[in-house]
Amino acid sequence: MGKILVHVGSQGGEAKRSSLEVLSHVSRKIAGSDDVVVACVFDVNPGRLEQTIGEYGADDILMYMDPAYESHLNGVLAAGLEDAIRATAPSLVVFASSESVKDILGAIAVNTGAAVLPDVVSFSAGSGFVEAVRPVMAAKSLARVRAEGELIFVSVRSGSVEAIKNPKNPGTTTFEAPIKPADLKQQLKEIIKAADETVDLSEARVVVAAGRGVKDEVGKRLVEELAGLFGGGIGASRAVVETDLFPATAQIGQTGKVVSPDLYFALGISGAIQHVAGMSNSRMIVAINKDADAPIFEYADYGIVGDLYTVVPLLIEEIKRHK
Amino acid sequence: MEEKFDCIIVGGGIAGLSAAMILARADARFLLIERGEFCGAKNVSGGVLWGSDLNELVPDFGDSPEGFERFINHRRLTFMDDQSAFSLDFKSAHFEQTPYSGVTVLRSKFDAWLAGKVEAQIEQGTHSESSFLATDILVQEVIQESGRVVGIRAGGEDFFADCVILAEGVNNLLTRQIGIEPAYVPADHVAVGVKEVIEFDKSVLEDRFQLNGRSGLTNEFVGFCSDGVEGGGFLYTNEKSLSVGLVLGMKDLREKKKAPQDILNQFKEHPAVRDMLTGGKVVEYSAHVVSTGDIDAVPERLYDDGVLIAGEAAHLLLNAGKAIQGMDYAMRSGILAAEAVLAAREVSDFSGAQLSGYQKALENSYVLTDMHNFHDAVKLLHDPMMFGAVPNVLCDFGRQFFTIRSEPGQKSRHMMTAAVKRHSSYWDLIKLGAKAARAL
Amino acid sequence: MKFLVCIKQVPDVSGNVNSGRMVLNAYDASAVEAALVLTEGTDSEIHLVLIGPDSAKETIRKALAMGASSAVHFVSAESDSMDSGSIAAQLASYCAEIQFDIVLCGKQSQDTDAGLTGGMLAAHLKLPYATNAVGLAYQDSYDGIVVTRQGDSGQEILQLPLPCLVTCSNDMNNPRIPSLKGIMQAKKKSIDARQFENNSLSSTRILNYEQPAAREPARMLEGETEEKVTALVLALVQESGIF
Ligand SMILES: Cc1cc2nc3c(=O)[nH]c(=O)nc-3n(C[C@H](O)[C@H](O)[C@H](O)COP(=O)(O)OP(=O)(O)OC[C@H]3O[C@@H](n4cnc5c(N)ncnc54)[C@H](O)[C@@H]3O)c2cc1C
Ligand SMILES: Cc1cc2nc3c(=O)[nH]c(=O)nc-3n(C[C@H](O)[C@H](O)[C@H](O)COP(=O)(O)OP(=O)(O)OC[C@H]3O[C@@H](n4cnc5c(N)ncnc54)[C@H](O)[C@@H]3O)c2cc1C
Ligand SMILES: Nc1ncnc2c1ncn2[C@@H]1O[C@H](COP(=O)(O)O)[C@@H](O)[C@H]1O
Repeated sequence: MGKILVHVGSQGGEAKRSSLEVLSHVSRKIAGSDDVVVACVFDVNPGRLEQTIGEYGADDILMYMDPAYESHLNGVLAAGLEDAIRATAPSLVVFASSESVKDILGAIAVNTGAAVLPDVVSFSAGSGFVEAVRPVMAAKSLARVRAEGELIFVSVRSGSVEAIKNPKNPGTTTFEAPIKPADLKQQLKEIIKAADETVDLSEARVVVAAGRGVKDEVGKRLVEELAGLFGGGIGASRAVVETDLFPATAQIGQTGKVVSPDLYFALGISGAIQHVAGMSNSRMIVAINKDADAPIFEYADYGIVGDLYTVVPLLIEEIKRHK
Repeated sequence: MEEKFDCIIVGGGIAGLSAAMILARADARFLLIERGEFCGAKNVSGGVLWGSDLNELVPDFGDSPEGFERFINHRRLTFMDDQSAFSLDFKSAHFEQTPYSGVTVLRSKFDAWLAGKVEAQIEQGTHSESSFLATDILVQEVIQESGRVVGIRAGGEDFFADCVILAEGVNNLLTRQIGIEPAYVPADHVAVGVKEVIEFDKSVLEDRFQLNGRSGLTNEFVGFCSDGVEGGGFLYTNEKSLSVGLVLGMKDLREKKKAPQDILNQFKEHPAVRDMLTGGKVVEYSAHVVSTGDIDAVPERLYDDGVLIAGEAAHLLLNAGKAIQGMDYAMRSGILAAEAVLAAREVSDFSGAQLSGYQKALENSYVLTDMHNFHDAVKLLHDPMMFGAVPNVLCDFGRQFFTIRSEPGQKSRHMMTAAVKRHSSYWDLIKLGAKAARAL
Repeated sequence: MKFLVCIKQVPDVSGNVNSGRMVLNAYDASAVEAALVLTEGTDSEIHLVLIGPDSAKETIRKALAMGASSAVHFVSAESDSMDSGSIAAQLASYCAEIQFDIVLCGKQSQDTDAGLTGGMLAAHLKLPYATNAVGLAYQDSYDGIVVTRQGDSGQEILQLPLPCLVTCSNDMNNPRIPSLKGIMQAKKKSIDARQFENNSLSSTRILNYEQPAAREPARMLEGETEEKVTALVLALVQESGIF
């Protein structure tokens, strides 16, 4: 296969866990072959990136370090990636699926003539082809898909493969951004971050997700407190995001994020198929809902029928006793 | 203002779509309004569509089987107590010839399919741009001018027509709005239908029920299945699933304080039923009101100036024990209503006097003829003995008759006597038998 | 102003997938709605394009009934086997034929969740673009549009010059349900149906479908609330691996 390029997403000099999963997976897969894993990363400053990326098994690192990457403009990242692809001439490029990757994947595929398999949960590559499995029909079904071509892109859903260290001593080359924000016709005006966002959802081992059953600030504090006990992330259904109680970045599901933590709490969530599409891969699912017929119980491992306003406070106390 | 329609049809169920097909064929300018997201979205039937009226609407439908599930060539009537099932079973190759005398349907698929056929018919006419099947729209009100129906209001807008056909189903708010049925419907005129669709691997289904190609089975149940409540159960084979459910008297349910879902679960757990359901997955649950089909519930007049009532909105339905016939009645009445509109258009007279021809046509058709003729049979079905003593006696007898012990046996006559004594009395049974002889 | 909205007909994933019922992709319905809101009270035109089988006409009618002005329908019975790459290539060659200011797509197809077509089309047409938009507006001082998009960790507000392309999230709005008048008018609007041969080969294909591994039914915890909670925490301690 030759060279495999892995895009490592990062923020503030820290690699994203989902990218390390992908890097580690690819690195372990090619062990013993002549293939080479090249990681490329685009950030403002190097932080600990070089070290981490080496630990998870890259043979080479292309570091694009430039203030331009602060801008979140898709043209800037796309140009950087296209540059890395030209420089590496890989047969396969692997991404962790995130909003910023989704934003550019189609465009760079056209610009580089690549075939794309987005959002897969597993894949295997051969000479000139990749076969992969991806959830379709709001994750009701799995499609086995095949891409053929000299250059193939695969993006992998977070939590699908494991991040296991596989240390190597990569060589590093540093680049500037080939295109800067000022070169583009579009402009970024502002970024609005949810004030209370602390733990990145797609990285969290525990996610506490709120649905429309969480009706007010009191309920929201229960969610936060439960999540806090585990250092977990806070998720939300679309219906509760619409009430403005939780930020849109917390939305889990077909439109929102896909998560697969070790433990998922669904509090006051009915379990609509579009929500389940984003969480059904969680290892253990606990549902608390006052309606015994709520579909969420079909996906849960443990279910409690009850009012979350009475169940969750007791749950918090009981968990504290075990901590 | 938009030009007036020849006809506005409220409801895209079977009655409404059947009327629409006839109007489209006659190249009339009409509007059909359905509140569901698509035709069939909200509709529930058991459902076997009996008779051959479908062939009149969609000739040779049997050759393009996207609409229906299976044709019926095998029928079974089961009497059950808590452990046993005693069945009358009839299968015949006669039923395999088209047009079929009964087909199973899943309404969300069937109604949408029929709507597609109507659309195609509209496309062929000269009003292809001015006749409509409009879905996802609720008709809020019937507009009347000096006692005459002239149109409808939907989404705050008014639409006018020479004639309105109300085919809104059993929940007939508009029929009541214009006073054709009193605002208060007695509880003994309606029943509750609950139903599950249980999906199987197709080959499992075909092996289990001895289905061949598109052939299918209907099984009706009386006795234990309704847990002492007036009513009965059904199990019908679809292409890849079973429709299993109950129809239960509303009044009796209320009086006995029982929940239809609980009774359905108990029915599904009956040993004879459970064995038929193993390995299936429930993919759909629905509940719907259904008319008891008592002729006494049918309004006196099914027409007025500028308006006709068709289908279950007019309580046209027969449930005389051997089958529920609501869909075929809806179809026939829809066809006749459309024909009445066309006849009225010929003479440009949409008065009640002219439209009364619809009611006469219904009287002459199987619809009102059978509802009159089988009125006693319908009443008989409401007799508590029918869902209590009768199935119990039969099952008790069956158990004795089919049990072989290593000891001297009894004559069946004695078995019957013993069974009757345990569950009823001869006198009651004779009375019931006499009633039945008259009714059927 | 002329909007071009790319719409797709998809199986209804929220109901029974086997029912065979087809609907307007929810994300595309949001794109149509966005165009309608932006053009309200102006003489702008909203033109639709769809690649799909003959029966997809119903979906076009639905979008026309919402208020779009006209549509072109590339009739193809095989559109199902076309991947995002070949759809985008076909859309691009159509776009080369016509004038437009803003192209709107859905952020993804509800059935495949691919989410590629918009970005691909923008690359073909060399247009500035934004994906996953949750807001779309004009700004007086700016001769273009302002897009709010949902990013990984917050909302990003961008200015895009015209012409440009935006892919829409259903979190942007609640698409209107066509009114009876809308449905009636839609039948009189023109749908330019064109037969089309799919000659841009897809580089990906679906080999087969599998059922996801079925989960065991949930263990429903019984008893008083305290008992349920105690039992749950015990299970969490033993099985979740996070204590
Ligand atoms: C194209 C498309 C994409 C979508 N994408 C997403 C997505 O990404 N994410 C998403 O979440 N949704 C998505 N949806 C919406 C989805 O269909 C549902 O509408 C949504 O998930 C419902 O959220 P909910 O479960 O919080 O609300 P509801 O369905 O209203 O359920 C609330 C639940 O809370 C329970 N409850 C109420 N009070 C209490 C209490 N005191 N204690 C315990 N339980 C209580 C109720 O019994 C009920 O089950 C999408 C829809 C479409 C059409
Ligand atoms: C559980 C069950 C089992 C049954 N089994 C059988 C069976 O096996 N065989 C059989 O023949 N019959 C059966 N029936 C009866 C049968 O379903 C009905 O008799 C039949 O559907 C009546 O058809 P219809 O067109 O009159 O009404 P419907 O099918 O109810 O159609 C009425 C339509 O009007 C629409 N509507 C109502 N109000 C408005 C409004 N204001 N604006 C716009 N649209 C409106 C509704 O959405 C609906 O689509 C069963 C019924 C039930 C509940
Ligand atoms: N057959 C099609 N016809 C028109 N537009 C399409 C078609 N398929 C996809 N699109 C557009 O591309 C978006 C989805 O992209 P994707 O998820 O890559 O399929 C849709 O929301 C549409 O805007």
